[in-house]
Amino acid sequence: MKLTSLNRSLALLVFASVVAAACAAPPPAAQQPAQQPAQQQEAAQQPAEQLPPGWKAGIPKNPPDRKGKKLVIRDVPKLIGIGYFAATTKGMEEAARELGNIDFKTDAPTEAKIEKQIEFIDNFITQGVDVILFAANDPVAIAPVLKKALDQGIIVVGYDADAQEDARQFFVNQATFEAIGQALIEDMVSQVGPDAEVAIVTSSLTAPNQNRWIEEMKKYAAAKYPNLKFVVTLPSEEDQQLAFKATQDIMKTYPNVKGVFGLSSVAFPGAADAVKQAGKCGQIAVVGLSTPNQMRPFVKEGCVKSVILWNPIDLGYAAVYAARAIADGELKPGATSLKAGRLGELKVNGSEILLGPPFIFNKDNIDNFDF
Amino acid sequence: MTTETRAATSAQPSRLLSALRTQEGVLFLVLVVIVIVLSLLSDRFLTVNNLLNQTRLFTETALLALPMTLIIISGGIDLSVGSMLAWSAVMLGFSWQLLGLPLPLAVVVCLLTGAIGGAINGALIAYVRVPPLIATLATLAIYRGFSFGISQARSARGFPEEFAFWGQGQVGPFPTQFLILVVLIVAMHLLLARTGFGRWVYAIGNNELAARYSGIPVERVKFTLYTLSGLMAGLAAFIFTSRVTTTRADAATGLELDVIAAVVLGGTSIFGGSGSIIGTMLGLVIITLLRNGLLLTGVKGDATFMVIGLVLIAAVLINNLVRRR
Repeated sequence: MKLTSLNRSLALLVFASVVAAACAAPPPAAQQPAQQPAQQQEAAQQPAEQLPPGWKAGIPKNPPDRKGKKLVIRDVPKLIGIGYFAATTKGMEEAARELGNIDFKTDAPTEAKIEKQIEFIDNFITQGVDVILFAANDPVAIAPVLKKALDQGIIVVGYDADAQEDARQFFVNQATFEAIGQALIEDMVSQVGPDAEVAIVTSSLTAPNQNRWIEEMKKYAAAKYPNLKFVVTLPSEEDQQLAFKATQDIMKTYPNVKGVFGLSSVAFPGAADAVKQAGKCGQIAVVGLSTPNQMRPFVKEGCVKSVILWNPIDLGYAAVYAARAIADGELKPGATSLKAGRLGELKVNGSEILLGPPFIFNKDNIDNFDF
Repeated sequence: MTTETRAATSAQPSRLLSALRTQEGVLFLVLVVIVIVLSLLSDRFLTVNNLLNQTRLFTETALLALPMTLIIISGGIDLSVGSMLAWSAVMLGFSWQLLGLPLPLAVVVCLLTGAIGGAINGALIAYVRVPPLIATLATLAIYRGFSFGISQARSARGFPEEFAFWGQGQVGPFPTQFLILVVLIVAMHLLLARTGFGRWVYAIGNNELAARYSGIPVERVKFTLYTLSGLMAGLAAFIFTSRVTTTRADAATGLELDVIAAVVLGGTSIFGGSGSIIGTMLGLVIITLLRNGLLLTGVKGDATFMVIGLVLIAAVLINNLVRRR
């Protein structure tokens, strides 16, 4: 009796694993979701004439005429409850108020989890909203649900963190590498002049973003300030202590250095702290990328004059203007600019809307931001 | 409703009414009320499309809730299911992308990883005698650590399109994973309700010592249960990966709480000894539809949590009230 029941349970276990194993086998071609290729074909055929060559971004399928009509916009950031996305929401609400005729709401998971974010977007699709704004927790994982939204004629616009290009129509890019590189150099030159020695504290020597910024910085400096001399680039490996030590080494080894770039939210405060503790505030300029909260004490003391990043309020503001312009047929594939209220004309590059030059946080405005 | 029930029972207890007085019956009534209210609040709620779509979103939780029901009935708990899912998913991506295994083989690796994770839990609990709460709390952290260590916090992506069949495709009108789930629900229900193994699980949960003296191989049963839980986590990882088309080390963080909430709402006693697969599934459907329906009505995400918490408590209260009579 005991034996048989054990056997039976084992048999069930085996059965379960067989089912599981069967799942592992590749599905026969006939079982493929049959409508998918058809959909793609249709999508490709329909707007083909209007699409500029090389257009890779998505297009909503058979969208209703939304010109001038009331828009239901739902914003799904990576998460809610943090200062950064509270700021983007603030900008979106501002734009929705200005434009009028918009039902706007932000709702997202309270943790930056892609599977929860997918669920929120999925529910908004069912709700039949007009526009979904998103900041992706994962560019690939979010793509299927965004493509589903496009298939149902919903306008899909990203900001802050992009998805695969074909899963959304437009993306509001908060800062290009080029613009950040230029802003860093301009800010440094305004503090130390065009003929100084400068050093860089980066995150790790292989970090892709940092390397692109350094590349753009050097390119811009070579063209405009040929006498600006980059003496050394040291890594800090996302460790504030290492950044601190690297900056100390720089000050020791290169006594003529007039300025230090801190290229991550860790390298920047580390560098600023080293300069401060060496008593060289005002003699050595520290310029870099970080968030207002991280740099507030240094800015208040005057050891750091400015923090370069972008303004998340403007970012959200531009995203809602982009959505309205798409609905009204003004922002189409091939467009080169977007009228965005108080931000003026924003440049559109392919399917990316450029927010423009980075935002500079200083003593006067840093308290307006909490992220 | 209660007065009616009482009146009916005092006269001639009809089968329907006595069925409604069971745990599952109460849950079913709660579910019906919720569905009616939500469908009055939103016309998008009670549609075939929406409901089928929800099955896509809840399959992974449901797969984990099946063995979790058995484990809780046996007086144990498995907190590591979310971490096992992430670890298995990471192994899928790792063995496919980095080791270059063919995808079906990578899926086998994924299932095996889950089963191994579960077997380690089982061995710790059954043979080393570590209390389940502590053992699986430890492996929750360890398996999550494996996920981050093996993946180096990078995600595997770029799966071929046919791989999406299991998480995004459909068979007829049904999402693929829903059909897999239905088969497994039936299998698990039969295992628990119709086999000797199922009776052993209840016996261990009711009184482990008595179960041992009556010759039930307590260790082997426990080991099997936790291994099964791991295997299911592997299967859920496979479906999850196919659904979101990427493997991430932070996948399914905190999922164990959703799973346990569904099991407990489903009437399984957290002290062991009683519960059922049907109850668990009703519990899970209630939570899923509440979350979905409230979002569709425009209730914000954070308020949804509170409503679900209140329903959890209310359901347990109603349950106690009805069963005491």
